[in-house]
Parts: sequence; structure tokens; C-alpha cells
Amino acid sequence: MKLALLGAGVLAWLGVAIIAVLVVNAWSDENLVLAFFPIAAAVVVAWLVGEWVTERVFLAGNGEEVHHGPA
Amino acid sequence: MALLERTLRSRELRDPSLIRLIFADTRMAPLWAVARVYLGYQWLLAGWHKMWGSERWINLPGEDGLGLKGYWDRAVSFPEQGSPPIKYDWYRDFLQYLLDHEAYHWFSWLIAFGEVLAGVALIVGAFTGLAALAGATMNFNFMLAGSASTNPVLFILAILVLFGWKVAGWMGVDRWLLPALGTPWEPGGLVKPLKERIGPGPSKPRPT
Repeated sequence: MKLALLGAGVLAWLGVAIIAVLVVNAWSDENLVLAFFPIAAAVVVAWLVGEWVTERVFLAGNGEEVHHGPA
Repeated sequence: MALLERTLRSRELRDPSLIRLIFADTRMAPLWAVARVYLGYQWLLAGWHKMWGSERWINLPGEDGLGLKGYWDRAVSFPEQGSPPIKYDWYRDFLQYLLDHEAYHWFSWLIAFGEVLAGVALIVGAFTGLAALAGATMNFNFMLAGSASTNPVLFILAILVLFGWKVAGWMGVDRWLLPALGTPWEPGGLVKPLKERIGPGPSKPRPT
């Protein structure tokens, strides 16, 4: 379950990379400022997904963040 | 001798709290995320233009890297009036060496892919410190070759992101990557068990 959640988080950030490349490919010659906003929005969404994943995968019951693998 | 000992005695000089707040406190992560994404966006744009733009350096019919060759030719030239673009002879010699060996064919691919990769890594916050270092190195070389453009601003921004590497990717993939992989001086959760399994390696025989 935790692996699936982590996979979802990784996919969210992979989505950011894909969106960034697609946006730059489509709009970079037209409006440089406008092209920045979809990328920034995608980063915010991926960060929210990432926080949600971190809370479920890496936080112990006492709220302490647990590092990956054995201590 | 006593003077040397006193000067070089081991002491740890601690950073002031403001510096620690800016460069090592996760409360500043949103600020670093904005700086990081902006920097990454600029690198992605620059790299994409070199790959697919109308004045691209690669992916052209015929020889690759002629755009870079033109750039290097201009950089190493001595104009009839005014000063040459490159101030340092050693750097002019370095570019001339690359020109003589026609390195622009593969170097143009290296620059274009390097810019795109650094841009994407900064946007998603993966290996942020390394990506910022790569960006700063490219800015530094463009400036040495006489190009100002956006390079000074991007260079300063990259250096700042480099200083804040621990928190710059906190709102990004580094949130998971850094604890998993760790650093060369402190292996992370994924690397540590592997290192323990491999062992410390053969010990050198002690001189008798």
C-alpha cells in the first residue's frame, strides 16, 4: 500500500516534468510569462500530493517523520 | 609553532540564526521553491530553444553544432575596434582548442541536453543542489565567453539555490530523495544497508 502511495507521489512529480516540457514546447515562442503559470500550478499540485503521500508513508503515529529503510 | 597551532586549532564557527533560517530552515521552503522553479523554467526554455527552436544548435539537417561553432568563433575573435569578448587568454585558448578539434559537434548536444535536464530537475526539485551547480557552471562559462544576457542574474540565483540545497528541494522530489540516498558523508536509508552489507572493504596491511 505504501509503495503504491509513493508511486502516486512520484507520478505526480513526473507529471510536472511532462507538463513543463509540453508547455515550453507549445508556448515558449508566444508568451514567456504565461507559460510559467501552468508549470507553477503543476508544482503546487504535485507538492500537495507529495505532502499527502509523506503523511501516509513517512509519518509515524506520533507525527515524527520516519526516514526510508531501516534506521 | 604556537601561533600556527592557535590559528589552526579545531573550532566550529556557527552561522548566525538568520543565515540558518534562510538556508537550512524548512519554513523557507516556499521561497526556495519559487526561486528553483523560476530558474528551472529559464534553463528549460533555453535548452528547448537549442534543441527545437528556429535557431537551434542540434537536430538540424547536416552538421550539428554549427550554431555553437559560430558562438565560439565570435567569442575567440579580436574585433578591429574595442576589446575582445573574452578577457582571459587561457579561456580563449580553451575554446580555440575545442574549435580546432571540432568539439562543437558533440558539445552542442551536451549543452542542450544539460540545460533541459538541469531545468527539469530544478522544476521538480530532484537533486536540486547538483542541478543548480550545473546551471551555475554553464552561466559561468557563458559569462567567461563574453555573453552577459540573463547569465549574471541566473548565476546569482543558482549560487543562492546551491547554498540552500538542503531546503530548496523540500517542496519537491528531494523531500524523499535526500533521506533515501543521503550524502557522501552521511548515507541515507536506502544506501546505508547496502553499504553495511558490502562491508568496509579490504583493510590495508599495517607497516611493521
